[in-house]
Amino acid sequence: MTTALQRITVARPAGLRDLPGQVRQLLAWRGLLLALVARDLKARYKHSVIGFFWSLLNPLLMMTIFTIVFQVLWANNTIPLYPLFVLTGLLPWNWCAGAITAGVGSIVHNGHLITKVAFPREVLPLAVVIAHGVNFLLALIPLFALLVLFGAPFTPALLLLPGVVLVQGLFLGGLVLFLAALNVFFRDTAVIVEVLLLGWFFLTPVFYRVEDLTRTAARVLYIVNPMASLLACYRQIFLHGVVPAPDFLARTAVECGLIFLGGYLFFLRLAPRFAEEV
Amino acid sequence: MPVVVCERVSKRFWLAHDRPRSFQELVIGFWRRSRGGEDLWALREVTFSVEAGEVFGVIGANGSGKSTLLKIIAGILAPTAGQVLVRGRLAALLELGAGFHPDLTGRENIFLNGALLGFSRAEIARRFEEIVAFAELERFVDTPLKHYSSGMQVRLGFAIAVSSDPEVLLADEVLAVGDERFQRKCLERIAHLVRQGGAVILVSHNLDLVRSLCGRALWLERGEVRALGAAAEVVDQYQAAVGAPSLAGRGLASGIGQRWGSREVEITRVDLVDRSGQPRTVFWTGEPFAVRIWYQAHRSVARPVFGIAIHAGEGMVLTGPNTRLANRPIPVVEGPGLVEYRVEALNLLRGLYYLTVAVYDEYLIHAYDHHDRLYAFRVEQPPAISDRFGCLYLPADWSHHPGRRPAEVPVPLRAET
Repeated sequence: MTTALQRITVARPAGLRDLPGQVRQLLAWRGLLLALVARDLKARYKHSVIGFFWSLLNPLLMMTIFTIVFQVLWANNTIPLYPLFVLTGLLPWNWCAGAITAGVGSIVHNGHLITKVAFPREVLPLAVVIAHGVNFLLALIPLFALLVLFGAPFTPALLLLPGVVLVQGLFLGGLVLFLAALNVFFRDTAVIVEVLLLGWFFLTPVFYRVEDLTRTAARVLYIVNPMASLLACYRQIFLHGVVPAPDFLARTAVECGLIFLGGYLFFLRLAPRFAEEV
Repeated sequence: MPVVVCERVSKRFWLAHDRPRSFQELVIGFWRRSRGGEDLWALREVTFSVEAGEVFGVIGANGSGKSTLLKIIAGILAPTAGQVLVRGRLAALLELGAGFHPDLTGRENIFLNGALLGFSRAEIARRFEEIVAFAELERFVDTPLKHYSSGMQVRLGFAIAVSSDPEVLLADEVLAVGDERFQRKCLERIAHLVRQGGAVILVSHNLDLVRSLCGRALWLERGEVRALGAAAEVVDQYQAAVGAPSLAGRGLASGIGQRWGSREVEITRVDLVDRSGQPRTVFWTGEPFAVRIWYQAHRSVARPVFGIAIHAGEGMVLTGPNTRLANRPIPVVEGPGLVEYRVEALNLLRGLYYLTVAVYDEYLIHAYDHHDRLYAFRVEQPPAISDRFGCLYLPADWSHHPGRRPAEVPVPLRAET
């Protein structure tokens, strides 16, 4: 046996310099991450064929409702291609809301695993984010069908899509890691998040244009709400076929990257105590 | 070559009595500065090492820190002080099949559970046939797990865990599950592992198993190392200390439960005594037996109710009498005193029983002092009593009446002699 001694020592708060080791460990456990994503998706669609199509149909129905309310009933809606405008906002938002709602409890609800099996705890919330991300990607299929139908421009800007998806994944990953860890120690987190999500939905330009807000409001929204920036990127790529402004893109990516880092470090700091608290 | 080294490992738990669990409680907590709670040292300066090719036993009463120790070695809990070194691949059987999903098939669960134990998909695929064969589930791999019996799930969990050929195997009481044939199969598999140079750390209450399977053993008492050495000697010392009949094995000294109450009346001592008034922890079936509850009332308390409960193993309450139900009211207690509960014949079969003792207010609502399953005693059967099943002995007789039909005159309960 040539294996080295692994050292388990006193838990000390994880800092920045532990991060490379933690990431290496996480990569070594990618098999578990994928298995948990597969479990999540399989368990969700196990019982019905409709189940899968329903997750495609749901955003289309929501799109129809928003279109009826804000284009048919609303007096002067000047947003062109309003159904597509709503859908391009709804799909990333659904990923966000779904991942957060399911992710907050991902540690607490898996208490039987946390107390019985040793594995990097971060795979549980990350698997939730990835599973909802897979759903999001699948829901892009009907979106593309509609884009073709409405004759939206297909340009090389689409090549940027994977990058934007990745940035949103980082943002959601950081947020869900933070909330899942917090929820272990304060169980009210899940309830509070539920309320905040509703407010967040209205502060995210899903069914309205940021340009229709006051100038200051628009600026503040882009800075404090990464979802607003992400939606702007998705719409430029899908609806206008243009590459978002580089500085806007870079600012969004850096902001989301920092949120991921912060959430991950917060999670790693508390993770050693999970087995005692869940 | 040592594969597991524990160096002065300590673990402290914070037993909070009113830990804030919500934001509301947290905010209130800022006003009331002092939050109740106490430290519990589950492990204190535990040092030992386990060599390759060794089966190492860990024994001790419930709550002595055995499971905490295994969880620290497995990396589930972090030690408060000290360090643990582990060489090679470690598999922990703390609970078989943790993480099984009832809606997924056996096949899907093998991959999921294997991933939880740190195997790659390719590794599991390579061992898949072996796992299924060991668990004897060939016909059921594509059946959802919810249709498996609990025995089948346990077999599958064990098969997955040992399929990795771990260099260190941690087993917490898991060999107590499954039927006898499968248990033998598990033991053979463990022996095979050890022959290949693996090490096994075994936590068990089955002292006979520890004595026969382990080379060395560690005895933990309240988180501290009480003895460490050859398994047979450590088991002997343990049995001598807990007063278990040395051949019967499976000894347990103290109970498993907790104590609570406001303590205006405090239970200071509890004795189980035989007919001559001698305290004992082992009784014969059918023998007279008494529970003596010594109390100290710190102020005058009117109409207290004393009660006991006898539990079969860790679970069911067999009986729960008290002075109020028995119509033996106690007008008032003040200062020291004794309440005795006498039984003509202790009609319990062989086994381990736990005893709860408590004193409550007259409405049985407020606990002055409640000792939940804090005491244990063992019952042995004299050779004349041959009942083997259950835990209750009913003095009884069987009779047989060939040729009788239900329509005929009923057979009287007391046969005319």
